[in-house]
Amino acid sequence: MIPIDNFLVLSAILFSLGMYGVLARRNAVLILMSVELMLQAVVINFVAFAVYLNPETFTGIIFGIFVIVIAAAEVGLALAIILRLFRNRQISNVDEADLLKW
Amino acid sequence: MGMDQAWLIPAIPAAAFAVLLIFGPYLPRKGDWLAIAAIGASFVLVFPILADLLDQADGTTYVAGEKAWEWISFDLAAAGETFNIEIGFYVDPITIVMLAVVTLVALMVQVYSIAYMKGDPRYGWYFTVMSLFAASMLLLVLSNNLLLLYAGWEAVGFCSFLLIGFWWEKRSAAEAAKKAFITTRIGDIGLLIGIIMLWLEGPNTFNIQEIIAFAEEGGYGDTYLTGAVLFMFMGALGKSGQFPLHVWLPDAMEGPTPVSALIHAATMVVAGVYLVARMLPLFEVADPIALDVVLVVGLTTVMISATMGLAATDIKRVIAYSTLNSLGLMFVALGSSAVAAAMLYLFVHGFFKALLFLSAGSVIHATEEQDMRRLGGLAAKMPITAAMFAIGTLAMIGIIPLSGFWAKDEVLIFAEEEQHIIVYLVLLSSLAITGLYMTRLFLRTFLFAPREQETYDHAHESGLLMTVPLLILGLLATVGGFVVFDEVGEALGFPGGFAQFVFLHRAHEFDFQFDTAITSSVLAGGGAIVGWILWQNKAELAASIRDRFAPVATLLSNRYYVDEIYQFAIDRIVLVLGSIIAWFDRVVVNDGGVNGAANIGYFAGFEAKFLQSGRLPNYALAIVGGILVLSIAMLVTQV
Repeated sequence: MIPIDNFLVLSAILFSLGMYGVLARRNAVLILMSVELMLQAVVINFVAFAVYLNPETFTGIIFGIFVIVIAAAEVGLALAIILRLFRNRQISNVDEADLLKW
Repeated sequence: MGMDQAWLIPAIPAAAFAVLLIFGPYLPRKGDWLAIAAIGASFVLVFPILADLLDQADGTTYVAGEKAWEWISFDLAAAGETFNIEIGFYVDPITIVMLAVVTLVALMVQVYSIAYMKGDPRYGWYFTVMSLFAASMLLLVLSNNLLLLYAGWEAVGFCSFLLIGFWWEKRSAAEAAKKAFITTRIGDIGLLIGIIMLWLEGPNTFNIQEIIAFAEEGGYGDTYLTGAVLFMFMGALGKSGQFPLHVWLPDAMEGPTPVSALIHAATMVVAGVYLVARMLPLFEVADPIALDVVLVVGLTTVMISATMGLAATDIKRVIAYSTLNSLGLMFVALGSSAVAAAMLYLFVHGFFKALLFLSAGSVIHATEEQDMRRLGGLAAKMPITAAMFAIGTLAMIGIIPLSGFWAKDEVLIFAEEEQHIIVYLVLLSSLAITGLYMTRLFLRTFLFAPREQETYDHAHESGLLMTVPLLILGLLATVGGFVVFDEVGEALGFPGGFAQFVFLHRAHEFDFQFDTAITSSVLAGGGAIVGWILWQNKAELAASIRDRFAPVATLLSNRYYVDEIYQFAIDRIVLVLGSIIAWFDRVVVNDGGVNGAANIGYFAGFEAKFLQSGRLPNYALAIVGGILVLSIAMLVTQV
């Protein structure tokens, strides 16, 4: 059996990559993709822990499926917002849309 | 009908007040008939209650009627007791005397007011407040416990405020109303403290009779009880205009004259006398100093008011000073434990003082002038008013056989028997001064040449609505004093004279002492005759005396500078202290505390809002940074 450390390291690498993408990218679509990477890292953790700690039940796996579903919905919503932003102001960079403030 | 239905007496005017308050403007004649009918009904109800009291009496032992309903009740967990407040009514001879005076004078005054207040823009409101006053005064008199008494006490003070300031468009009237209210409030605080003191150490009740019984068994400490009764006396002092809180009563003459007759002569101002008479057993159980205070205060008031009456020129003010004079006499009687004398004086005083005020009102109504320097000779134009005023004047001076003579004589007898000779002598000298200033008042208003022809020509006798109450009160002021005789009392169905109806410990026979009567008559009559000599015709003699003793005259016409002393104290002490407290409140509490706390929040919010830049990368960085900080903190704390 593959040690759980491997999964955790994979998940950490994926999460860090995603976090780097969120912080460093300006394009809204790319940030959204990075967020997806972070979510998948979380899903890997869920599944790994589910199998290693509590193999009789599927709680963690089902939770992972929930995360994927919610992530899909979230992407749908976010892409719609980005599309409207581009339609109205011809921009896709998040640092240019800064009107929502005090 | 009997003593158990005594609650109806204040309830009827109270109901009339409620109806007038809501529907008054829509009623025909603004509802004056309703107010008069209500007080008339109360007056009629006094008789069955009196009959019931006499029926149940055994000789001169009266069984007081008492009926109470629970009003508020809750458990005092800490003391393991139940706290009860009752609405209760108590009828005994003192109550009956007060009820008779209050309802009768109120009825007369309200009938008189129909003519006097005619055409006033607030005619309806006048009768509304009069009904409220009658209800509160009757509640005060009938209450069986101190809290209800206090409620009535404050309510009559409030009505007095409303009626003194009835013509509030006039600045002096508004000021006088405020002065009266605040001055009496100073005394009322004392009354409240006294009531609380009696309850705190007492038998967990406000019931007056239970408190008296408890005190007579020695339930209160001597010093404690003395303190409590002296605090209660402060209330009486303020309400009855005794020195040093007498300053409001002369100013209260700004109100309509019938109001002065009812509230500031016959009823409300004697509430203090009633209170002390009611609580007199407590004064007797307490240290003798308590009664001495009552006596000295009464005596001081008698002297200062009589002398101030010499210098006043406003006819209503002179009568106001004579009221203070009479109230002082009542307190002197109470200070000698002579409840019968005090209540007799109160009884007849209600009639002759209301008579004086109402006839003065008749003069003011006819001439629209109340300064006696511009009046004179009115007897020719207003014979009934002048005759009634003369009766009132003679009764006030105490000329036999008018009512004032008998009452004053009772007071004198007790003062002579019970007190130091100085008290007696001071009282006698005050009688002479009373004779002087009352004669002056009558002469300057009604006799000799008119000083202003125009005012004189304008004068006319008042209508029946005003003269009939005058005549009734005049009759009572003439014969009211005869109730001291046992034969008169028996003829009226009482066991005997007044002192066998109203007394504290034991009934006593009417006791006429020729030496006292002759001394007082000589002094009072002498005062009147000297007054006649001084102020006859153009009053040159009086003017020359006034010029010779100019400093004294100035002192008197400035009312011993008591008002100025108060004004000084208010300006230099109260206002200075007040401004310091106001500064503290404004700067420390308001600017520092309230606004300071708000400003901290405001500035913090103002600075913090710039963190919200609207840029997504900043927020993302903040989230990551926050998580990093939290993680490090968690690691550090778990190690």
